[in-house]
Amino acid sequence: MNATIPADTQTSLERVVSYLKGEKPQRVACFPLILNHAARVLGVPIGKYNRDGKTMGKAHVAAFRRYGNDLILIFSTTSTLAEAMGTKMAFFDEDAPQIAEPFIKERSDLSKLRIPVFSKDGRLPVYMEATEIAIEEVGSEVCVSTVFAGPLTTAAALYPVDQLTRDLIKNKAWVHELMEICTQAGLMFVDEILKRKSLPILVEPIGSASLISPTHFKEFVAPYLKRISDHVHKTGGGLPAVLHICGKTTPNWKAMLEAEFDIWSLDNVDLGQAKASVGHRVALVGNVTPANLLKNTPEEIDAEAREICQKMGDLRGFILGSGCEVPINTPPENIDALITSARKYGRFDS
Amino acid sequence: MPRERGDLFKDLMDGVFLMNEELAVKAAKEVVEAGYDVYDAINHGLVAGMNKAGILYEKEEYFVPELLICSDAMYAGLEILRPHIKTDSASEKHKAVIGVMEGDTHDIGKNLVKIMMDAAGFEMYDLGRNVPLANFVEKAKEVNAELICMSTLMTTTMDGMASVIEMLKEEGIRNSFKVMIGGGPISQGFARRIGADGYADNATNAVDLAKKLLANSGLKQGRTE
Repeated sequence: MNATIPADTQTSLERVVSYLKGEKPQRVACFPLILNHAARVLGVPIGKYNRDGKTMGKAHVAAFRRYGNDLILIFSTTSTLAEAMGTKMAFFDEDAPQIAEPFIKERSDLSKLRIPVFSKDGRLPVYMEATEIAIEEVGSEVCVSTVFAGPLTTAAALYPVDQLTRDLIKNKAWVHELMEICTQAGLMFVDEILKRKSLPILVEPIGSASLISPTHFKEFVAPYLKRISDHVHKTGGGLPAVLHICGKTTPNWKAMLEAEFDIWSLDNVDLGQAKASVGHRVALVGNVTPANLLKNTPEEIDAEAREICQKMGDLRGFILGSGCEVPINTPPENIDALITSARKYGRFDS
Repeated sequence: MPRERGDLFKDLMDGVFLMNEELAVKAAKEVVEAGYDVYDAINHGLVAGMNKAGILYEKEEYFVPELLICSDAMYAGLEILRPHIKTDSASEKHKAVIGVMEGDTHDIGKNLVKIMMDAAGFEMYDLGRNVPLANFVEKAKEVNAELICMSTLMTTTMDGMASVIEMLKEEGIRNSFKVMIGGGPISQGFARRIGADGYADNATNAVDLAKKLLANSGLKQGRTE
């Protein structure tokens, strides 16, 4: 079977640059969202990956060498910015860190909240070092990105999410004040990422329609995201603004357009419907079901990826990927199957 | 002169589904003062309001913030009304144990299911989040529950659900309980594979599933409104 699949003639970086130039790549690019799973490839505990920049960087280099994924994503948790601003995390040897104690316990604590210092606060230096290592070692072969949380997601890691969601209705002015600080921190994160020649990718899972309405998205998310996309457009030297939102997003698509990102990575949606509805405005990344990557067979992954590619019609403005993080314990052969399916079903040269 | 029952029940309902906690609290106090049937006030007022909120949630007009504030109003009203429930009308509830798997601290989804099942008349035993697997089994045995409800958002903790089912089998009590599961990475296929009795993809569907499972269960019959 493999004999019938043409070999790649472009490097990963060339493939992604084709998209950015508006040219047809040889085949559809493939972004399995490999995050903490990179530690498995290097054979180090997840806990070490998350706390040591060198290890994190080397893990992503190793994952790229192993899989040939078309995007490296330097990432630990969606709470990293909040952690640098005072939220306490719990660390585990064999799982990603989780929030242990949010910084803001009552609303008056907001007055103590400060934008972090990127050279020292929390694990921001871990991110920066990991980014530098990946850029240095494989930056000429593959697009390297660094993932940071959007303002609402950072806010939800600074203040208990059930309280925050209530305050979207009950204490709007206070939430906007919190969002302003989180946005400023995000803008600085963009600067730090761009300075290191990496692509900033914004993740805003708390803006998912699994949680909030289009009305709240328009009021509390879109205006702040737009400031960040504007900033990337202004200072990124032609780089696209990239947005990932996990879970269900379909009801929020219209509101999401107002944030003016160029590329959306979507999770639990019908990607064909997304193409029909917003494909004229954004490029789409997605969306093989993450739990299926963990539990299904390579043949089933191939079938799921083929169905997604077929839904995407002419394949323009489409990148095959996982809907959300590749589960930590995903069998490597399933990631291979996903990337192979991009070679099989994502051809522009046939 | 106390206001009419129907007026007060409507205020209880509106207070909940229009997110007006003060209205619900005021109406609840008036119900108690007037000596109206508290059980009726809960079911035709607060619960009816929460059910309306649930319908709006399914229609994607309400989302998590709205549902949480509706439930705040419901619980504020319940706090006033519950002490006045006559015990005979309070008995015979279906009991369900609910929690988030060990290793996972994301509990919004679990909380929504708990709220909607509370409103549907289930007696909920909430184990919280990051729950050691054996606790699901122990608690279900202890309170003589009919349902075990498990939730997780993470792929690293989803296999804990299968372990709980294995524990039930090992103790020879698998058929004493209906097991339902949900959460981001969970699917119907996963539920089938690990031998769970059902999967629901949101809080309102979870209530329907729970009712369906118990209706077909042959477990002890009770009452859910």
